[in-house]
Amino acid sequence: MAAVQRQPAMLRALSSGFLTFWCIIAFFPIFWITVMSVKNPLDALAKSPVQVFFGPRTLAQGDGLSIIDIVLGLITIGLLIYIGRVRLAGWVKQYGLPNAPRISWVLAVILFCIATITVLFGILPLLSSILNSIGGPLGTNIVGLTTEHYEAVWFERGFTRNFTNSLIVTAGVVTVSLTIGTLAGYALARSGGEIAFWLLVAALIFRALPHSVLVAGYLPVFIKSADILRPILGEAAPTLYGQPWAVIIVLVAINQPFTIWLLRSFFQNIPEELDEAAKVDGCTHFQAFRLVIIPVMWPGVITAGLFSFLLAYNDFLVTSLLLDGQNMTMVPAIANMFNRETNASDEVQAIAAAVSITAPLFLLVVLFQRQLVSGLTAGAVKG
Amino acid sequence: MIKKLLLAGAISVAATGFAYACENKVEIKSLSNAFPVYTVMTEAMAKCGNFQAEMDKDHRLKQEAALSSKPSLYQLTSVTNQTGGALAGAGLLRPLDDLIAKHGKDLAPSQLIKIDGKTIAVAAIVNTQHIMYREDVFKDLGLSAPKSWDDVLSAAKAIKDSGKVDYAFGGYYKTGWNLGFEFINQYLGDGGALFDDKNHASINNEKGVAVLERMKALSGYMDPEYLVSDTAYMSKQFQAGTIAMGINWASRAGSVNDPNESQVAGKIKMAAAPMGSARPSATLWWDGWAIAKNTSDEQAEAAFKLIIKALSSEVVTANNDVAIWTSPAFKPTEAASGAIATAQGGAANFPASKFLGALHTELGGGIADYMTGAKDAAKTLADIEAAYLTAAKENGLIK
Amino acid sequence: MRFKTFAAFVAPSFVLMMLFIAAPLASVFWQSFHVTQPVFNEVEVETCTPGFGTTNCSIEKKVQLVLDDNGDPVTKTEFVGLQSYRNVLELDRLGEAIGNASWAQVMTIDFWKALRFTLMFTLVTLPLVLGVGLAIALAVNNSLSTIRGPVIFISLLPFVITPVIGALAIRWLFIGNGILTVGIETMLGRDISMFAQGWTIELMMYFYRVWHVAPFAFVVFYAGLQTVNQDALESAVIDGASRWQRLRFVIIPHLMPLILFLSLIHLMDAYRVFEEIVGFSSQAYVISLQWLTYEFLIPSESGTRAISRASASAMLTMIGIVILLVVPLRRFWRDRHARH
Repeated sequence: MAAVQRQPAMLRALSSGFLTFWCIIAFFPIFWITVMSVKNPLDALAKSPVQVFFGPRTLAQGDGLSIIDIVLGLITIGLLIYIGRVRLAGWVKQYGLPNAPRISWVLAVILFCIATITVLFGILPLLSSILNSIGGPLGTNIVGLTTEHYEAVWFERGFTRNFTNSLIVTAGVVTVSLTIGTLAGYALARSGGEIAFWLLVAALIFRALPHSVLVAGYLPVFIKSADILRPILGEAAPTLYGQPWAVIIVLVAINQPFTIWLLRSFFQNIPEELDEAAKVDGCTHFQAFRLVIIPVMWPGVITAGLFSFLLAYNDFLVTSLLLDGQNMTMVPAIANMFNRETNASDEVQAIAAAVSITAPLFLLVVLFQRQLVSGLTAGAVKG
Repeated sequence: MIKKLLLAGAISVAATGFAYACENKVEIKSLSNAFPVYTVMTEAMAKCGNFQAEMDKDHRLKQEAALSSKPSLYQLTSVTNQTGGALAGAGLLRPLDDLIAKHGKDLAPSQLIKIDGKTIAVAAIVNTQHIMYREDVFKDLGLSAPKSWDDVLSAAKAIKDSGKVDYAFGGYYKTGWNLGFEFINQYLGDGGALFDDKNHASINNEKGVAVLERMKALSGYMDPEYLVSDTAYMSKQFQAGTIAMGINWASRAGSVNDPNESQVAGKIKMAAAPMGSARPSATLWWDGWAIAKNTSDEQAEAAFKLIIKALSSEVVTANNDVAIWTSPAFKPTEAASGAIATAQGGAANFPASKFLGALHTELGGGIADYMTGAKDAAKTLADIEAAYLTAAKENGLIK
Repeated sequence: MRFKTFAAFVAPSFVLMMLFIAAPLASVFWQSFHVTQPVFNEVEVETCTPGFGTTNCSIEKKVQLVLDDNGDPVTKTEFVGLQSYRNVLELDRLGEAIGNASWAQVMTIDFWKALRFTLMFTLVTLPLVLGVGLAIALAVNNSLSTIRGPVIFISLLPFVITPVIGALAIRWLFIGNGILTVGIETMLGRDISMFAQGWTIELMMYFYRVWHVAPFAFVVFYAGLQTVNQDALESAVIDGASRWQRLRFVIIPHLMPLILFLSLIHLMDAYRVFEEIVGFSSQAYVISLQWLTYEFLIPSESGTRAISRASASAMLTMIGIVILLVVPLRRFWRDRHARH
């Protein structure tokens, strides 16, 4: 539109003003809980926002940031985001293994995550302590900051275990969901039959179901599953309640409707002539799928994978009802923190845990912004 | 495995400075409530090793399902006079008499909860409700500790008019369990009967209406967000110095005066719960431990030894003011004075039963409609009676 | 594609959906017409409990579960027809309230209260999400191309954040002396409690949902704006159409399919609103249909779950979803028959 006509200054100002306003609203709640999570409880829950931000009591404990730290920190984080969002793709093309672009990508993402952790928790503190000692007034602390709550959450409260559980559940859901979803999505895209149609309609209705309805059906069966399955499986019959793999299967099932609709629309974009050509060469349908479709399907699969990841990682209802304390993933574990005795420092620890959960999602957007956007629009543009 | 045990032992020695005379070799999990005394007890258990505690204010919501799994998902669980009878009635608790004969010689007879001659739980503490008040504020205003509800209301008015604190009064009015519980306490304190002889609810009467009106009057002196205020929330209000008086659980008396958390440590005094027209508006409770029925004998024995450890005199003595322990090692102090005065005033046992459970749930949800002004008192109580009847019929309690 | 091949490809996904979605649904349907009750009998029990330094023993009549040989409670199940539906809908109370012409009385009946909020939540947030999303998309489209990437980046954050955490983050800004409450208090010069009355909690819930979902609408609209026919826009300029007219008559019609798509997704998701109730602990004032089901499901203080009423309320929620989906499904149906 900008190309069509020059705009009056008023409109430009209005539009950029609105945009700035939105960005602040979008970012502020996340920013603010991050600020709260690094303060002494009395500061974090103080009435005055100035006290929350500068954290005088935290500062008085001797924990804080100097001007040098702040500048250094902002530059580093900015640089990391820039590299992740803008540069990483180019580097993978340039230096990655030429024959295995996907493996290069995975390696790059892992390397990037490791580098981020090393820089933020290893190099940065070291560098800042050196600079602070020679920085004079610029090196004195002006803003309170303490990592005590993070240490408490991760090392004393056993959040590491919840993190591992989240990793297991998420990885499981993404893998299984993509494997079976890809097969189904492909078949649905290539078949115009009545059954395919009704399957899609059923999937749409399933997509709309309230999850509490489903969980209501699982809970009693899962708890008594050892009794129910004993006639079939004998003594090996498992109690499904509290088993991560049982939760993985449930989440995969709940996620299937969305996954198959999304992948179906991706596969419809791959011209049918490709499989026809392969079949003319004497391939069966499975061979055609393996030889022709698999090599070109990755953009769609990555996008579907991202959404499976979000579903599994963010789920509260299913994981909180079907997992017990020992196998809890991170999100229900937070709710449990609130359900423990909440004195002030417990509360700030829960905030720190909330920020810890958000951090991987932040990295996810840094690395996969384009795929997320294409996934959001894919369903819409196809209609 | 041995290495792990040695490590656990080494850690526990390092942590406490002296070796605990316990070593637990069987994997034990517990599901319990989360107020301070449970933190103390589960920490003591954890020092024996191989022990994991899940603590949750709403533990009673998962308790029955978790214990009826075979094998039970938790070997140890916390019970009260409300949950204990129900769980024992559902056949989910293991009788403890053989274990008591073997390991429980130090337990006093008053610590054993018996139903039909079988011990089904070991009580750790007794609990009731009392008034907490800020002695300094009361002294400045020339007030004395309130004895009746009229005293509470007039003191609240005086405090509000003086503007010394943000809100004069605090209470556990959170929608659900807490709100229903406050009604039951005040209604019983006024000598009301909750049920008629056919076990139908009978609360829609003068007494019920009077209690609701009094609760509404009190809420005028409370933080306007009182419908999310539970007992932990109120304790925090005391610690932050925003309220000057409140009805709270005896088991909170220690934490409000804890100098590490409270800005007004040492200024909070305890007094008996306000007298209703019949007896104190408070009920007596016990809290303790039980062992799940669907548990192997080996696990049950290990779990029982952990209970003994958690109730040992060294734990009780080190945490004397956290609650009113049942153990003979407990020495009543200032923190327990309000609760003991409540009990001596003639407070009744909480009359836990399946019927009261069903009514409690409906009260907890239904009274909010009155507090928010959506219904008048008589209509609220009539609707609660009707909702109770629906639930009791669906559950098979009433034909 | 032959049926056998098709079946082989679809089978794993199909089986999972049948087992974990269709089967629970069927069982819920069955349960909504039946009641399963434990069997009770009345017994005299001697109970001994500790008092303050004493032991109190008493003999009481108690209602107890009847246990079978394995120690499990005996239960019986019977067909009750529409009784559970009646218990949820409470039509007699509804009739009485309507007879009194009292809206406030209708709003004290749980189901109707939940229905009111769920519908209102769905219908209020829908135009807001579409409007805010479109506004951001237009503003971004209007801006320099260098800042578009970063703006999309920031906008995606509220969308990917864990819903419970997002709701808690907003709650922390407002609860007690949260920063925004204090800010509003300074602005208005009086005390405010955002969690003390229903309508402020509801406003916060609307705000949270729009904050969470508007980025999705924005991204979709932004992609749609890239495909607007430039010729049509230019000829509109030549015809002397104002900016507003161009938006109204060229751009919005072009985006119409996307608006429909977003509305459908939003209706489905907003209709099952649940996390907001948990995150803002609003149950004293505001409840939703899915919350109602959940509340029936969790055990009461007497340790029983109202499974039958939960199932009935779940089925009633389902009816709402089916009504919501009728329009888009008919369109899908017509498109398909047009193609053949």
